[in-house]
Amino acid sequence: MALLRRDEWEDLVDDIDWTPTYVDDTALFPDWLAGTGKVPRDAWGAWEVSYKVSYPDYVATQREKEAGVYAVKAALGRSSVFPKLAEGWKTIAKAHFGAVALVEYMGMLGELRMARFGLAAAWRNTATLGALDEIRHTQVQLAVAHQLLAEDPQFDWAHKAFHTNDWVVVAARAVLDGMIAGANVVDLALQLPFTLETGFTNLQFVALAADALDVGDVNFANMISSIQTDEARHAQQGGPTLEILLEHDPERAQWAVDKTFWLSARLFAAITGPAMDYYTPLEHRRQSYRAFMEEWIVGQFMRSLADYGLRKPWYWNEFLEGLDIWHHSLHLGTWFWRQTLWWRPPAGVSRAERAWLAERYPRWEDLYGPLWDVIIANVNANRMETTFPETLPWLCNTCHLPITTYSQSPYDGRWQVRTYPLDYGRSTYHFCSKPCRQIWWQDKDLFGVKTVTERLVDGEIQPPDMAGVVAWMGLTPDVMGDDGDAYRWAEEYR
Amino acid sequence: MTGPPRRRRLRTWSALGELGRVPSEYEIVTHDTNYTLRTGRSAALEMNPSSPANLWFLTYRDRSPLQAPDWNGFRDPDQLTYRAYVTLQDEQETVVRGLLDEYSDAGHDARLPAAWLKTLALLFTAARRPAHATQLCHSYVAQMAPSSYISNCAAFAAADMLRRVSVLAYRTRELQRAHPTVGFGTADRARWETDPAWQPARRALEEALVAYDWGESFVAVNLVLRPTLDDILLRQLGETARDRGDDLTWLLLANLDLDAARCRRWSTALADYAIAQRRENADVIERWVARWTPRADAAAEALVQVLDRARTS
Repeated sequence: MALLRRDEWEDLVDDIDWTPTYVDDTALFPDWLAGTGKVPRDAWGAWEVSYKVSYPDYVATQREKEAGVYAVKAALGRSSVFPKLAEGWKTIAKAHFGAVALVEYMGMLGELRMARFGLAAAWRNTATLGALDEIRHTQVQLAVAHQLLAEDPQFDWAHKAFHTNDWVVVAARAVLDGMIAGANVVDLALQLPFTLETGFTNLQFVALAADALDVGDVNFANMISSIQTDEARHAQQGGPTLEILLEHDPERAQWAVDKTFWLSARLFAAITGPAMDYYTPLEHRRQSYRAFMEEWIVGQFMRSLADYGLRKPWYWNEFLEGLDIWHHSLHLGTWFWRQTLWWRPPAGVSRAERAWLAERYPRWEDLYGPLWDVIIANVNANRMETTFPETLPWLCNTCHLPITTYSQSPYDGRWQVRTYPLDYGRSTYHFCSKPCRQIWWQDKDLFGVKTVTERLVDGEIQPPDMAGVVAWMGLTPDVMGDDGDAYRWAEEYR
Repeated sequence: MTGPPRRRRLRTWSALGELGRVPSEYEIVTHDTNYTLRTGRSAALEMNPSSPANLWFLTYRDRSPLQAPDWNGFRDPDQLTYRAYVTLQDEQETVVRGLLDEYSDAGHDARLPAAWLKTLALLFTAARRPAHATQLCHSYVAQMAPSSYISNCAAFAAADMLRRVSVLAYRTRELQRAHPTVGFGTADRARWETDPAWQPARRALEEALVAYDWGESFVAVNLVLRPTLDDILLRQLGETARDRGDDLTWLLLANLDLDAARCRRWSTALADYAIAQRRENADVIERWVARWTPRADAAAEALVQVLDRARTS
C-alpha cells in the first residue's frame, strides 16, 4: 500500500450535494443569487473544470509561489532600483496599484458568492480556492505598494483609491460592481472569469509583466506573473458555466458576454490604453495599444466566441473603430484633468512620440494634433491656467467615462465628438456611444446611479469648482496629479 | 503651477495613520480592503441603491442587529495573512500525508473491527456533507462581514472545511477499498439524508444556511453549531477511535481539530470585540444563542447516542 493518487479520491470531494428537506431549495439558493433561470436545476450536475486542484496541492503550490514573490520583494523592495526607474513606468505602477489592488477583493466577494450559491458542488469548491486566490492578490499587491510609500505618497492610493469618489474609481466601480457583486453567480461566472479575466486581465497581466521586466522592475514583474498563474486556474469557472447556460438560454449568455466585453473594453481604454501608448517610455514600447488589442484581446475573444458558438457582438464595428479613438481621447482628457488623478501622467506627445503615434494611428495628427498644439502653445507661453479645466466633463451614464469619443458623420464625413441622449422618465440621459445607451436601456433597473458630474450639477459637491471637486474626490495637494515630465517635453516646440 | 508641493513621507497607509504605532504586515495587507464598506457611500455597490444586491447588503449587513462603531478594530488572534495561511496548512497537510502513508503501509484498515467500521461509516465518512454545509456558511459570512478583518478569517475557515472534506474523502476511498460492503462512499448521502443520528444536525445546518443576517449566521454557526458539532465529530469521535484501537482516525481528527480551535479563537475574540464595542450586542448575541442552542443540543443528542453505542460495543 502507499498514498493514493489524487484522481483516485478527488471525486468524493465533490460528492457532497444532498436534497434539503427542512428548508426550501429556493430559500437555500434564491434565484437572484443562484441565477439558474431557464436552466433546469439538475443540469448543473455536469459542471466540471478540466484542470482540478486539490486542497493539499493548492496549499503546497501557493506556499511556494508566495515564498518566491516575498523573497524577491525582500531582496529588491528596499533597494535603490525603483527610484531610478523611468517616470512613465512609475506612473503605470501607481495607476495599476490604485486601480487593481482592492478590485481583487471585489473579486474575492464574487468568488465567495459562487462558493456559496453555485449550483454545483464542484463549482462551489473551485470558487472556495478562487476566493483565497483573490485574498492573495489583494495582499501581495498591497505589500509591494506599501514598500514604495516612502518613495511617493501617491502609492497610498493603492489602498485609498477605492474608498474615494475619484471619477476614475467611480467609473471602475460602476462597471465592476455590477459585473461582480451585483450579479447572480451564473452571470458573474460569464462576466468575471470568462470575459474580464480570460478576455482582458490575463493578457493584460502577461503584457504588464513583460513591460515591467523590460524597464527593470523585477519586483513588479515577478509579482504580476505570479498572480497571473492563479488567474489562469480560477478563470476556468467561466467555461463550464457558459456551456450549461448556452444549452438552455443562449440569448442570456450572449447578452452577458457582449455587455461585459464592451464595458471592460471601455475601462481598459481609460487605463491600459494611455499606459501603453503614452506612459511607457518610447524606447520600451514593443507594441501599440491597438496592435496589442487586435492580437491578444480581439483574436482571443473571437476564438472563444467561435469555440462556444456565440455570435460576434452587435457593436463589433464600433468597437474596432474605437481602437483608434477611445484611448487617445481618454488620454487627452485624463491629462487635462490631471489634478483628479493619483498619478502624474506624462503627456507623451514629444515630436518623436507623435511620430510614433502617427505611424500607428493614421488619423491621430488630424484629430488630436491640433488639440495638443494648443496645449503646447499655452505651456510654452506660460499660460498654465489655460491648460487646466474649470469644471468637469459630461460623463456617460453607463460607463461613467467622459463623453469624448470621436465618430465620423455619415453625412459629411467629419469627425466629431457627440453624445447619444435618451429621454426616460423626467430625465435626459447621455451616453458616450450607442452600445452604452443600449446596455443602459436593457439593464436600467441596475444602473440609476448618478455620475460625478451629475452630482456636481445637483449641488452635492461644494464649492462647485475644480478645487471643490478635487477635495471631494479625496485628493490631497501632495498626491494630486500633474504632468509626468514637469512640462519639459514642450520645450522642443519653442 | 508654483512648483511641486512638498511631499509627505508616509510610513504606512493613510487609513492606518491613526494607529499610533508601526502596523504589522498582517494589518498592512488586511486593513479595510472591502471597499463596499467605504464611509460616505450611498450604497454598497456603485449601482442602483434599490437593486437586489444593494438591498441585500443593506438588509443583512449594514442593518444587522449586530452593530459596532468600528469593526476595523477587530484583529484575528492568529493574525493570519494569506501567506501565513498557506504556509501553516501546507505544514499540516504534510503531517496528514505522513500519517496516511504510514498507516496505509501498516495495513491498518484491514484490522478494524466490524462494529467500529459501522461507526466510521455513520459519523466519519458521512460527515463530508455537514462539513460542506459549514463551508458554505463560512463563505457566506466572509462575503457579508462588515470588515475585511472578519471576512478573511471566515474565508480561511471556509477553506479549512474544504480541507476537512478532502481528508474525509481520501479516507472514504481507502475504507471503501478495504471494506467494500460497509457503504463507505456509496451510502454516505443516504445516511446524512435519512439516518436518525444526522437529522437534527441536518435540520440545524439547513436552517443556518438560510439565516441570512451576517451576525446571526456568525453566531449560529461559529458560536453555537460548529463548536457543538466539532466537539462530537472531532474530539469525542477521535477519543473513541483511539480507545477502539483506530489510531489513524484519532490522529487525523486531532489534526483537523487544530483548524477548529483556530476558528473558535477568532470567533470568541469577535464576540468579545462586538460586546466591548457596544454593550447592547451582548443581548443581540444572547438572543441568537438562545435561538440556536436547542437546535445544537438536539443535533448533539442524536449523534452522541451513536458514540455511546460505539463505546460500549
